[in-house]
Amino acid sequence: MAPASLDPAARPRPPKRRRRLILLAVLVLLALSAFAIMWRPAIDPQTAAPATTDFDAATIERGQRLAAIGTCAACHTVDASRPYAGGRALATPFGTVYSTNITPDARTGIGQWSEAAFTRALREGVSRDGHLLYPAFPYDHYTQLAQDDIRAMYAYFMTRPALAAPAHDNEMTFPFGFRPLVAFWNILYLKREPWQPDASQSAEWNRGAYLSVALSHCTACHTPRTKLGGTDFSRHLDGGEAEGWYVPALNEKSPSPLPWTREHLAEYLRTGIAPDHAVAGGPMQATVENLRLADPKDVDAIATYIHSYLAKAPQRATRASIPGRLPAPAASDPDLARMQAGHAVYVNSCARCHDLGREATSGAALQLQKAVALYDPDPRSLIRIVRQGISPPDGEPARWMPAFGDILSDEQTAALAAYLRRYGAGQPQWEHIDDQVKKAKQP
Amino acid sequence: MTTYHLRVNGRDHAVDTDPDTPLLYVLRNDLQLNGAKFGCGLGQCGACTVTLGGESVMSCLVPVSVVGDRAVGTVEGLGTTQAPGALQQAFIAEQAAQCGYCIAGMMMRAQSLLAPYEQGKGAKPTDAEIRKHMMPNLCRCGTHMRILRAVRRAADALPVKGGKA
Repeated sequence: MAPASLDPAARPRPPKRRRRLILLAVLVLLALSAFAIMWRPAIDPQTAAPATTDFDAATIERGQRLAAIGTCAACHTVDASRPYAGGRALATPFGTVYSTNITPDARTGIGQWSEAAFTRALREGVSRDGHLLYPAFPYDHYTQLAQDDIRAMYAYFMTRPALAAPAHDNEMTFPFGFRPLVAFWNILYLKREPWQPDASQSAEWNRGAYLSVALSHCTACHTPRTKLGGTDFSRHLDGGEAEGWYVPALNEKSPSPLPWTREHLAEYLRTGIAPDHAVAGGPMQATVENLRLADPKDVDAIATYIHSYLAKAPQRATRASIPGRLPAPAASDPDLARMQAGHAVYVNSCARCHDLGREATSGAALQLQKAVALYDPDPRSLIRIVRQGISPPDGEPARWMPAFGDILSDEQTAALAAYLRRYGAGQPQWEHIDDQVKKAKQP
Repeated sequence: MTTYHLRVNGRDHAVDTDPDTPLLYVLRNDLQLNGAKFGCGLGQCGACTVTLGGESVMSCLVPVSVVGDRAVGTVEGLGTTQAPGALQQAFIAEQAAQCGYCIAGMMMRAQSLLAPYEQGKGAKPTDAEIRKHMMPNLCRCGTHMRILRAVRRAADALPVKGGKA
């Protein structure tokens, strides 16, 4: 379309009218380009979901192992008896997004999705019918997956039992309910580049890097996000947040009071427990629950890659290496009343497993001076562990810590956090502990 | 020693004790409510579960000083041998007790799940929700499946206020 000013018929028109025409043309162009950015076509439905016999068993099994590394079930499975039926609420700064049914049910799942539609969803964040998916679904990571791996996962999901489970309506804050806006987010944050190995690193490191970034999307939580909710690539593994938890940095900024070894990390990723060092809590529990089903070699590769960053953390003198119980507050403590209240909670509630009573249990509870949560830059994770405890996944053996949310008052929880920070970690006091306790109570 | 005023199963009590005394000891030793059991004393087994302000807690972990004005519920409040409550009837119907040591705690854990539904708040719990909710409580005899069935039965039999089924 030629601009209005070049149209010979337009020349004699008065300037005011001409300006209006130019404005109109610009608006039309903008609307057209916005439409081109936001609109994606539907991909034709396949008339019948593929049969199990359409895939060979080895491909399906490989897909299963890969889906475990992708931690698909962490969001898409709510009820263990109905795997991948979706329905989990994920609170984001832009509203609450509900995971969808990715079983091959034709009406409510992805039974009508061809491999091309499945691939486009993973690479571009576009549903089969053309609507844009919210980036709570980490397609900005999956976009770098090898086609062979996508094919294997397609084979796995298409051979799961089809379950009828309609999608739950999302609860987005205005204006994010208008999905086409995601197209502009995609311009900023969806880097559709194929995976590039780093030739200077080992094959195992590269395998781990690919799995960590493109599939397991570790950086979705362990790297901070921008105000617009995109991964801040300039701060790789600097620590972020997930579902109200602080997610620790995994590089030189790691808050861990003890250095991580590669072996410790591999064990932690497979079992959720690094003996005498850390126990997975919060959203990380669902991650290890999935990783235990993955190929152990792949989990080792992830450990190799992540540890290459964790190893940059400087050796620090911390209280983690000082054995024994935590001390009573000093009489000279400027915040003595609160510290005494926190110490009382520690003695009555924590010490019977974490300290004096360790022999009465399996002795496996971490001594609190070793607990990473005490060394975090904010008290969110500590408060959540105290309030919610740690529960094993449904039907699985794992560490157990009772929940104290209905036992301790807000003041006691805050006093405990303040006490543990000062006398457990010996770190500068956190700010806004009381506010964080109140926030942790919100569902 | 401090005097604590506790409201247990709808009755008021005054108890002189140390602030650190676990609620479980107060219930058993001072108030002679022996339904809640001492199992591990570490919050690992659930035999001592009671309700506190409607939520289930392990009473061995609750110092009496944090109870405040929150109502305490024990198994004695659910019914009597002569007139068992709905939850107790369901446990009897499913023969959910073997040695029975865990059962008072099991019932109080279930009570905190069913009470809001009975009062017309929230939907009837699904099987998965029951499993998840009952998870902290252990039965060393292994009657978990019967216990889950008993809670299911109680949920299905509850007369729900407000007529919502």
